[in-house]
Amino acid sequence: MARLTMQQAVVEGIAEEMRRDSGVFIMGLDIGRFGGPLNSCKGLWEEFGAARVIDTPISEGGIVGAGVGAALMGKRPIVDIMFLEYLSLVLQQLGCDAGAMHYYSDGKARVPLVVRAKFGVGPYHGHAYDYHAWVAHLPGIKVAMPSNACDAKGMMKAAIRDDNPVLFLEHMGLYHGAREEIPQGDAVVPLGEAKLVREGREATVVAIGAMVRRAQLAAEALAKEGIEIDIVDLRCVVPLDKARILESVAKTGRMVVVSESMKFCGSGAEIAALVAEEGFRFLKAPIERVATPNVPIPFARNLEKMIIPDEIGIAAAVRRTMKD
Amino acid sequence: MTARNDTWIALHRLMLVTRELDRVIGAADGHWHPALGEEGVVAGCYHGLRSGDALVPHYRGMLAACYARGGDLARLLAGLDGRATSYSRGRYRSDVCGPIELGVIGLYSGALGPTLEYAAGAALAAKLDAKGGVAVAVFGDGTASRGNFHEAVNLAAVLRLPVVFVCQNNQFAISTSAQQEHGGRIVDRAAGFGIPGELVDGNDVVAVHDALQAAVARARRGEGPALIDALTYRVGGHMASDPGTYRSGEEVEKWKTRDPIALHERRLLAEGVLDAAGVTALRAAVAAEVAAAMKQAQSDPMPGPEVLGLDRVFAGGGNGGTSVPLFRGA
Repeated sequence: MARLTMQQAVVEGIAEEMRRDSGVFIMGLDIGRFGGPLNSCKGLWEEFGAARVIDTPISEGGIVGAGVGAALMGKRPIVDIMFLEYLSLVLQQLGCDAGAMHYYSDGKARVPLVVRAKFGVGPYHGHAYDYHAWVAHLPGIKVAMPSNACDAKGMMKAAIRDDNPVLFLEHMGLYHGAREEIPQGDAVVPLGEAKLVREGREATVVAIGAMVRRAQLAAEALAKEGIEIDIVDLRCVVPLDKARILESVAKTGRMVVVSESMKFCGSGAEIAALVAEEGFRFLKAPIERVATPNVPIPFARNLEKMIIPDEIGIAAAVRRTMKD
Repeated sequence: MTARNDTWIALHRLMLVTRELDRVIGAADGHWHPALGEEGVVAGCYHGLRSGDALVPHYRGMLAACYARGGDLARLLAGLDGRATSYSRGRYRSDVCGPIELGVIGLYSGALGPTLEYAAGAALAAKLDAKGGVAVAVFGDGTASRGNFHEAVNLAAVLRLPVVFVCQNNQFAISTSAQQEHGGRIVDRAAGFGIPGELVDGNDVVAVHDALQAAVARARRGEGPALIDALTYRVGGHMASDPGTYRSGEEVEKWKTRDPIALHERRLLAEGVLDAAGVTALRAAVAAEVAAAMKQAQSDPMPGPEVLGLDRVFAGGGNGGTSVPLFRGA
């Protein structure tokens, strides 16, 4: 067992897959000698060399497109686009085309491509917006967002082995945070399996990414009031583990959905709709959503803090589902 | 017969197929994008690649490209209106997207440009494999205005990828003329990327073929990408139903005198590769082949609901959710 940060765990996952499969390579901006932004690729160039750790020009659309082309020819490319705000530059290639290829080709084409992006409000100013919902809406692309180092490594390994395009999102607020014991060996975390990370009877909090930790802090506060909650860490928005969500709501009868992405048409809305459609009979109270309002993220730290969901807002939402 | 003669006849045959497809499909479908007048570029690019090479065709000429890769003409034509016998079984249109199993990377959406990046990626895969594979990407002069062109060619240049980019320069983007499209010649951009560029007469199928094969050979040797600007003219409309109000009839007539099929036919006769009877027989054979394929395609069935495949969006199955029947309904 080694104690690693999320950044180190992701890199270890990539390195293990590159050792296992010579068809795996990575390309992106400043990922060679520089080691990638926030050390996202630290050590890979030294081990695997410039042929498989490929520095590219600032051409996000071009390199994601090249990833699609190489994947169609049987490689397993990983493309590091640095930050999620550049998703706008690759939506045609990743969203409209790559996601459709398997279906449109009647199953002949496969696009085993991982697109990595950092995002998330945290210690770094800028590049922080959570735009994952743009892609979650489109058919054929998986969207992974680990909440901790262990999952980050196992999910990256699963993403590389997956025969579909995967948008792999790495939260900058978690990146160089808590170290965790990482199991050695082939610890793959399948994409599409949510995890119950805390158990209670009164309410279900569904969260993902950095919001999982905030939900846990809210749960500790609520526990002091005698309110015990389930926390479902989604881990992936696509595939969505509907069964895990419904199973928990069937038990608790109350649900709060937490999302760092914007509320309007965000993935939290889809989860609320899922429970309204398929689990309405379990509900004892209206569903609550805690999400970032639809406003461009303001710059000043204190303003930024006001709009991102926190443990106080999550706990308050749980209490609202409990009154009556 | 010499190898050269075989090649010249094959080029002629592919041009004839391209034109016959235009004639037959265009008569029935006003939305068809004809390659009329551009057959020299189509045949010059798509004949003579190896089976392992990646071919990334322009949409105008896609069916001919797939046919040149060994595609079944009836199945390709069945894809025009999504019949069950088509390569995608009706899930996508064959006129812009050829089957990947033929080594063709088509357009999986209506946006032009990203396919040049897919070609660069296919070339990157070939470079990693180091077995001499190449990619050939063909695009229109309209597409050349897209940022994708610049990103793809620059990336290929920087990484010295084995890819040949060919501009099927028909001098129009729908109604937008070359003068309105480009501040300079497309071929001159090659110098800016630091790669070889060559301007060829796109109406001379042999010139296109020879230029492409030279660039492909160079790429196979690991000497990097090249750009070919194949200058031709779109004698047909953007679509079969295009009234062409944006250009003069004189201009179109002038280019008709440089018809690539007529030019090459004269060469075949002059060089004694074919005699008049041979030329006529080739035309008749192509017309019969296309007619038979079209007849077959039009009698093929439309897809049934089993093709819909709502759980076949992802490789390995699934549609993005893992639900359980337990929770369905009341």
